[in-house]
Amino acid sequence: MTDLLEVKNISKYYSYKNGWLTPQRVCALEPISFSVKRGETIAIMGETGSGKSTIAKLISGAEVPSSGEIFLNGELLDPNNHQQRCREIRMIFQDSLRSLNPQLTIGKQLLESLLFNTKWSAAEQQEHVYVTLQKVGLLPDHFDFYPHMLSSGQQQRVCIARAIILEPQIIVADEAFAALDPSIRAQIINLILDLQEDMGISFIFASHSPEIVKHVADKILIMHRGKMIEFDSTQALLTNPKQQLTKMLLQSEQLNKALKHTTTQE
Amino acid sequence: MSNILDIRNLTIELETSAGTVKVLDKLSLQLAEGEIHTLVGESGSGKSLLAKAIMGFINPRWKITADRLWWRHYDLLALNPVQRRMITGRDMAMIFQNPGSYLDPNTKLGNQLRETIPQSDLKGIYLRRKANRTVRAERLLHRVGIKDADKVMNSYPHQLSEGVAQKVSIAMAIAHNPKLLIADEPTTAMEPNTRNQIYRLLAKLSASQGMSILMITQDLTSVIPESQRMSLVYCGQLMETGPTEKIMTEPFHPYTDAMLQMSFFNKELVPKTRLPTLTGAIPTLQHMPIGCRLGPRCPKSRRACIHQPRLSKVKQHQFACHFPLIEVETHD
Repeated sequence: MTDLLEVKNISKYYSYKNGWLTPQRVCALEPISFSVKRGETIAIMGETGSGKSTIAKLISGAEVPSSGEIFLNGELLDPNNHQQRCREIRMIFQDSLRSLNPQLTIGKQLLESLLFNTKWSAAEQQEHVYVTLQKVGLLPDHFDFYPHMLSSGQQQRVCIARAIILEPQIIVADEAFAALDPSIRAQIINLILDLQEDMGISFIFASHSPEIVKHVADKILIMHRGKMIEFDSTQALLTNPKQQLTKMLLQSEQLNKALKHTTTQE
Repeated sequence: MSNILDIRNLTIELETSAGTVKVLDKLSLQLAEGEIHTLVGESGSGKSLLAKAIMGFINPRWKITADRLWWRHYDLLALNPVQRRMITGRDMAMIFQNPGSYLDPNTKLGNQLRETIPQSDLKGIYLRRKANRTVRAERLLHRVGIKDADKVMNSYPHQLSEGVAQKVSIAMAIAHNPKLLIADEPTTAMEPNTRNQIYRLLAKLSASQGMSILMITQDLTSVIPESQRMSLVYCGQLMETGPTEKIMTEPFHPYTDAMLQMSFFNKELVPKTRLPTLTGAIPTLQHMPIGCRLGPRCPKSRRACIHQPRLSKVKQHQFACHFPLIEVETHD
């Protein structure tokens, strides 16, 4: 299997002025390289400020990298070609209500991405929106709803619909599960697993919940202070973590405790 | 152990456009001295309302009725507001979700912390009292595990990380040695490492000072191992309550079971398989189902569920369901 996405030595520095003659540079992400296969799920874990969100932003094209290149299917992605980028790589955010436009109906928001990226007729576009809404478990009736009329789970579904409407190859999610209630979160995880199976999308997500990562991810990327300290398959990292931090991030005290109880009872 | 907090059939009603809605429906909760009790509920379950009702942050438009709302030997509902504030201020404290947002952004943390130390605890004349106050504040910070007390006292809330800010707010809460600490989702949106630190701190405080803690969380994964009892609430109705281990291992209620499954407690769960989940969404206030509010989403619901089930009791374990997962003989 060839690599779908290849990230080579990508890094990000932010500079700010500190006095007159001393510009300061802050390193948010030191050069890292990794690759993603088609249909694969990659989880990015790390503490706050370790560069998780920076990677997500760089891959989705929301920020221009300071150095390095990103290849999609062996083809170099131009950081300034937003149209190509947004067709192939889409992003889902943590707070679904704030990432939706409160003044537009759900249908109009979904149509917008079709307007700018396809040459379909109005009828075709509308039809495609209906199909996409059904794919994420909503009804065509939701076309005329405003975001505030939906529950938080449905809002997150709209965000997923907006991500898959252009049939991308990669979806990047930054803490997309953190703010959801457990029952809704399980539904959204199921939805993403279903969509991945149907459409063969690669999924890159940042999360700090070890349970979700263990369940969903094929590979885990551990970040620490802007450096990638480990990148391996989930199974390998669970059984044989090389770094202390990896162990710490992947263990969940509550889970272990509960499991210990069940085993002692048996 | 006697119960220091005793709530029986607490009901809170709200006036909405769709008529009166019971946001809390006959909720009962007992808390013993020195116990950690975890209250688990999804959003809209009324768990924060319960905390507010205990603390007395009450909106005059709410209609609160209860068979019993007792704090030690005081009937909280019969007291006038002044007396109630006296008791609340002396015996209870609360910490909230986003420490960064509810600490005063304009005042240094040292000043905020010094303010919370009660005057009656300090001895001596003016200048001595002032010096003592600072010493007490530093000691409080040491007690919550902050080593660099000077630096923290001289900084503003935005300069500290979430975890440290939450520790400072815990220090402020325990300044007057409360008997009850209500923690309303203290660790939501924190990374696991910091989260565990806060949990360990709370467990330690409870063990060393005999302080009761009511932990309110959204998620079963953040139930701390030290918690002795827990309750599950759904849409204002009590689903199940009992010892934490019992609930985690032998749930009676389908809701508890579903929550456990969704929180990845099933160790036979194969990665990438679909998670068992409750269908549908959490109902809004205007559209509460009658009877058992879990009814429309419950996998085991039948016709009888349009009547609200009574609490059944098996030893210390109580649950409200017509069709429990483990068959029990009811003694009605």
